[in-house]
Amino acid sequence: LNERLRAAELDPRLLGMGAALALVWIGLDLASGGLFLAPRNLYNLAVQSSVVGVMACGMVLVITARHIDLSVGSLLGFAGMCVASLQAEAGFGWPAASLAGIAVGALAGALQGWWVAYRGVPAFVVSLAGLLVYRGAAYLVSDGRTLTPLAPGFGVLGGGVQGSIGASASVALGGAAAAAVVFAILRGRRARARNGFEPRPPWADALRIATALAAIAAFVAVMNAHAQPKSGVSRGIPVPVLLWIASGLGAALVLRATRFGRYVTAIGGNLDAAIRAGIEVRRVTLGVFVAMGSLAALASVVTTARLGAGASSMGTLAELSVIAAAVIGGTSLGGGRGSVGGAVLGAVLMQSLENGMLLLGASSAIRQIAIGVVLVLAVWVDVAARRRSPDA
Amino acid sequence: MHRAFWLVLALWPATALWPAMAQAEVVVGVSWSNFQEERWKTDEAALRGVLEERGARYLSADAQSSSEKQISDVETLIARGSDVLVVLAQDADAISPAIALARAEGIPVVGYDRLIEIPGVFYVSFDNVEVGRIQAREVLRVRPRGRYVFIKGSPTDPNSDFVHGGQLEVLRPEIDAGRIEVVGDQYVDGWLPELAQRIAEQILTANADRVDAVVCSNDGMAGGVAAALRSAGLEGTPLSGQDGDHAALIRVARGLQTVSVWKDARALGRRAAEVALLLAAGTPPTGIPGAGVFRSGPRGVAVDAILLEPTAVTRDRLDVVVDAGWIPRATLCRDVGGDPPPACR
Repeated sequence: LNERLRAAELDPRLLGMGAALALVWIGLDLASGGLFLAPRNLYNLAVQSSVVGVMACGMVLVITARHIDLSVGSLLGFAGMCVASLQAEAGFGWPAASLAGIAVGALAGALQGWWVAYRGVPAFVVSLAGLLVYRGAAYLVSDGRTLTPLAPGFGVLGGGVQGSIGASASVALGGAAAAAVVFAILRGRRARARNGFEPRPPWADALRIATALAAIAAFVAVMNAHAQPKSGVSRGIPVPVLLWIASGLGAALVLRATRFGRYVTAIGGNLDAAIRAGIEVRRVTLGVFVAMGSLAALASVVTTARLGAGASSMGTLAELSVIAAAVIGGTSLGGGRGSVGGAVLGAVLMQSLENGMLLLGASSAIRQIAIGVVLVLAVWVDVAARRRSPDA
Repeated sequence: MHRAFWLVLALWPATALWPAMAQAEVVVGVSWSNFQEERWKTDEAALRGVLEERGARYLSADAQSSSEKQISDVETLIARGSDVLVVLAQDADAISPAIALARAEGIPVVGYDRLIEIPGVFYVSFDNVEVGRIQAREVLRVRPRGRYVFIKGSPTDPNSDFVHGGQLEVLRPEIDAGRIEVVGDQYVDGWLPELAQRIAEQILTANADRVDAVVCSNDGMAGGVAAALRSAGLEGTPLSGQDGDHAALIRVARGLQTVSVWKDARALGRRAAEVALLLAAGTPPTGIPGAGVFRSGPRGVAVDAILLEPTAVTRDRLDVVVDAGWIPRATLCRDVGGDPPPACR
């Protein structure tokens, strides 16, 4: 089987995570008497995972560059309070307020990145300071008051009653995604042939296409199966999940297919070598933190839209879930190795546990214990898998 | 040098008068845990107002959320001649050495809002158990039977259990009689609104939306619960909270929340100032009007206490918060819709 996997160039770690997730899902579904895998709950799960998921995409870049960002939860709170304040107090419309919030996040990220890259203060310290500063700043935006009401229509970004794109748009989008996957894989085959690499066995590519199409079809079908209250109209794909998918695709593309992404990996893998190779380490580092800040702000937009209000405590302790999602997903804290797909699965895994155990009525103490245990098990599986196949 | 000498000489009679003045006026030292929270400023203004009215002197220190700094703050307040101390404890246990010092000097101490479980410290606060009773009573009034959910505060905050205890006091007979069924009961770590939202979403999913009322312990979490209810098309389900958050009062005005239990910080500040002045004048704690004994703290220590009654702000009673200047009528009533509450008419 190992040979086969290698030939198909499927990432064994990702497969392992997928299997682990499937096990957790089946277990929770059996325990909850079929509630967990019902469309309604999978819709909940997708929306609930999106906040941590969006930030985890950025955290993969940060950790791959061998840094850390402890400030993302607080930055979520601060940017979210800015977004809410612009709407509730300054009368901005939601698109302008959201863009302004993302600009705030990018600036905050740039500030931290500057301290790390150009002033040589370790990211741990800079972002720990950020954790304190942004939480305080979130408080100061409104002296701790919860800000509401937000602009009408902002709920679109939250995944609630207005926050999904409907059945036909979901089918269309799913179709487009399927076409893109097929196109990308076929083009990859041709590129390999052109450049003189051995092509993947046809069955492997067929398997990839089949898996991707099945996943897309299942996702669209499940999201369409969840109906609006009262009217019974299909909800379709929630907007925050689209934002999450876009962030994930963006981060994965940057990491794998751009020079910037290669530099990030190189810097995290071997800083000295990267410097000697002439990489502008400081600029790349700054860029990584700007990306992280922007994604934290995007997550804050989703959080405020979901809550329909801005609360200064938003995002408290979220940094831990975000870092955990990235690390569970196989991003090495030692730098130089990151997987956006893994982080996405990691975020879903963590949220599945909280979501499922809440369905079962488990207390917060039990939930914390279970999530802690799974965190260790997941990373242990990853470590063990890599020990068995060092080149994977 | 020469000029300074004459200046000192000229001011000499004035400085000589100081001790006499200090004896005439009572000095009240107040140690605040942190001014970062807006609400303490409201408390301070009320407390100060009473002291100025009665000709007492107000000394204050802000511990900036540090329990170590608060200990030295209290020492400083004692050194500056406080006749009585009012302490809003950052950490009710860590503050004990400073309290012991004050007691040794014979200075009475008033524990403000947060319980300091040391015999001899006078406790002035709102009745948190009553907060829970009011929440349960108001929800019960609009939904006397059905499937109830409890959204409780942080499991590490003793106030969570005070409030929930009050809720159960009212609802226990109904639960035992089978009129109320509890279909969800969760603590919310850190009182976080977005976590309360996820918890409410899951409880609604687990019960296929068959939830008739949510007894929620504060307004921030009630915001998360209200969002979850809305997403399930259940807006208007009876829902409680506390704190009188503007966001919550607006929900009350729009019929999206049943009650917000409001603690009038000004009443608390005024009462603490009155108690402090009485204690400074040598009144025994038991002789203070309205004082009782409180022993429901985590360690069960008996302390003299005054517990103020919190206010239930419902749709029909929104005038209370408007008249108190807590929220402007325009903020409360903006876009309130076709059927405005009495306060918005």
